[in-house]
Amino acid sequence: MKAIQKYTEQELVALLKQRDPNAFSYLYDNYAAALNGIVRNFISDDQLADSVLQDSFVKIWNQASTFDSIKGRLFTWMSSIVRNTAIDTLRSKDWKNSRQNVELTDNNSEIAADNALNIDAIGLRKFVGGLRDEYKMVVEMCYFDGFSQSDIAQTTGVPLGTVKTRLRKALLELRSRIKQ
Amino acid sequence: MDIREYIQSGIIESYVLGLADAEEAAELETLRATHPEIEQAIQTFENELEVSSMSHAVPVNPDLKSQLFNQLNLETPGSNYEAVDDPKVHKLESGGKTPFIKYLAAASIILFIISAGLNVYTYSKYKKVVGENRQLALQRDQLYAKNSSIQTRFNELGKNMQLISGPDMIKVALSGVPGKENSQAVVYWSKSNKDVYLIANALPQAPKGKQYQLWALLDGKPIDAGVLGDCNSVCKLKNIPNAQAFAITLENEGGSPTPNLEQLYVMGKI
Repeated sequence: MKAIQKYTEQELVALLKQRDPNAFSYLYDNYAAALNGIVRNFISDDQLADSVLQDSFVKIWNQASTFDSIKGRLFTWMSSIVRNTAIDTLRSKDWKNSRQNVELTDNNSEIAADNALNIDAIGLRKFVGGLRDEYKMVVEMCYFDGFSQSDIAQTTGVPLGTVKTRLRKALLELRSRIKQ
Repeated sequence: MDIREYIQSGIIESYVLGLADAEEAAELETLRATHPEIEQAIQTFENELEVSSMSHAVPVNPDLKSQLFNQLNLETPGSNYEAVDDPKVHKLESGGKTPFIKYLAAASIILFIISAGLNVYTYSKYKKVVGENRQLALQRDQLYAKNSSIQTRFNELGKNMQLISGPDMIKVALSGVPGKENSQAVVYWSKSNKDVYLIANALPQAPKGKQYQLWALLDGKPIDAGVLGDCNSVCKLKNIPNAQAFAITLENEGGSPTPNLEQLYVMGKI
């Protein structure tokens, strides 16, 4: 048996920037499932979700040198990469015609529940579903579809200030719901 | 700027999730450097997000790690699952030294035991609830029955009330004869159609095999006005065309052709 390795976030970041495979392996073992949970908020198809997760880890490996710990935690940075990869994948032409994938992710909790260890898992999307309509719309468009707030204002005709307020209020509500 | 209000505005959440626009992000990045409470709020939310993602983790296809390492031309190192803080989240995806299947098996056994325990608990709870439900259904039925009998009685009382309060009703109070002073009854006699109603306010319970019988008295002669059956409150008795007084005696069940005067209870003149 190999000696148990444990890194602090600082050590892990430093090693990743030096492209240390052991640190990367540790990162994968510790975070792949949590990041997969995020992927599953966007994509229900098993194969596509696997490929998004794999692509995300490739980016994490390749872009580790650009990570700036002043701007936030490693997990936050990785979550952003995962979210952007998921959105890009859904937008790419192969998947443009299967927008129902996004809708299907409502089944997230079922997928997770199939997996005995995640009986209680509830996807972020389930929480979003409980928001009032105008909040749900901005979160769907902004977080899940990756539109900027000004894009949303332009597309929907809702003033930018209102979009911003709704998004912030929606996120606050989501946060408190998830915490409960 | 009110910093507390700013922190609670939702900008922190929007920024950390990568949803803030460039202008919002730039403002926050400037402010976080000079306001430790903003920095603190950002870190708190980031931490919360990480914890929540860990608890909503979805186990990964165990082949994915080697695929990834192959793609990056990295040698797949041993798994670091031993270093995992939260075994609940990570055991399933570890593809290293201990075969995945062992963890799956262990997890299945644990889950099976928990599930068995839960089944026993749920079953006993189910039994209890079924019992309670039956009890409640019974009580409900009893209440329904009670309610409908009260309803009937109420309607009857209402009808009787209307009957005896009619303007052509003569009220005859029958009071206890000597030795039966506690007995009392009231006869209502319709002037127009000569119907007779009786309210036995206070007559002792008739003994088994006996019934009270009402008599109308005309010129000293008793006329059978009927026996008191099981009527509630107001009893309708025989039609009596003419009378000067009424009296009640206790007779054998079914009534007698002539009154047994030794068993006279109450009497009243019109």
